[in-house]
Amino acid sequence: MTIKRTVNMTKQSDDVIVKTLSRLLIPFMQIYALYVIAHGHYSPGGGFQGGVILGASLILLAITYGLDNALRMMSERLNTILCSLGVFIYAGIGLLCIMLGGNYLDYGALDKILHVDIAHARSLGILGIETGVGIAVMAVMASIFLDISTGGLPSTKERDQSD
Amino acid sequence: MEVTILVQATYKSFQMLDEARDKATQILDTAARLTSETQALHRKRIEAIFTGAKQTKVQLSRFIATFIILFGFWLFMSGHYDVFHISIGVLCCAVVSHVSHNLLFANPRAGDMRVIVKRFITYIPWLLYQIVLSNFHVAYLALGPKRLLDPKIIKFKSKLESDISMVTLANSITLTPGTITVDVKDGIYYVHAVSKKVAEDLMTGEMEDRIAHIFMEADHVYVQDVFDMAPIFVELK
Repeated sequence: MTIKRTVNMTKQSDDVIVKTLSRLLIPFMQIYALYVIAHGHYSPGGGFQGGVILGASLILLAITYGLDNALRMMSERLNTILCSLGVFIYAGIGLLCIMLGGNYLDYGALDKILHVDIAHARSLGILGIETGVGIAVMAVMASIFLDISTGGLPSTKERDQSD
Repeated sequence: MEVTILVQATYKSFQMLDEARDKATQILDTAARLTSETQALHRKRIEAIFTGAKQTKVQLSRFIATFIILFGFWLFMSGHYDVFHISIGVLCCAVVSHVSHNLLFANPRAGDMRVIVKRFITYIPWLLYQIVLSNFHVAYLALGPKRLLDPKIIKFKSKLESDISMVTLANSITLTPGTITVDVKDGIYYVHAVSKKVAEDLMTGEMEDRIAHIFMEADHVYVQDVFDMAPIFVELK
């Protein structure tokens, strides 16, 4: 049984305005997302917000330049790896705190390996957690969009290989 | 008897000589073929190295340009100028410019970037002036008699070539009150104009000329060009 796609998300947009402006915007979106992640322990924002912005930049690329171009930037394999890497960073820092004699996610215990005072160790611990959350959220956002846009079917490239 | 042996011996020696000559030519041929093949391979490898180096150079220059722009943006946003935050910024900018260095400079054209930036900055005040003028006009349309309103969609073919200049024109038209770019397809603009005066202003093509001048496209014969060239002529004298 073949499923017909009603909306072809894999096609490129043919609007010159949308394409050019998104081409110019995507790098700035990505650097803004990383800024939100990196300054999450000083100002509003953090891992989740930054990750969503980062995922949105990938989704914008997929909408305007077609799914194949977006997959060239972030393949599904890399996406899955990043998805679990983010969770691993989060849980790893939490468990590291237990191993160093604190509670789960008790960043104060990290001062033993970072060689800084407790307040600074907490700040660095939060930064590490937020990096993990950001990576995981970005990968999950991108993979949700990939699954929705392809209808759960394998992408065109994989289909060509299997045929 | 001896004569026959002698003849046979000579015959055989000639045969051997022939074989030896054939073999020698064969060896020489293969040797020549091999050298030509290796030469071709060598040439190909050198060409590949050169084209690869050229591509790498282009990619590297794009990477560096993207990095500088993004790092400037980072410094503008981030308020913390200590070693820790700036090193995070360098790392993030390197990652982003590695991932998307071909987005910001997708199709570079031959043209001095500094000239384009300078001309673009001088274009902004003119655009703001036009926006103020059409603001007054639209306010007059809103408050004045109703017969002046004559909304329509006008269509014109643009002489602009690159995507960035087409986008600049489309956005300038939309920014000016009274006109909105509805669509751009294959260089043909569909613009919604709210009155006859606005449409006529647009059809004079001054905005298009100025944008063609910024991006150095089409037949942008323009007074500003003469002014830009003047210092060079003075130097030549």
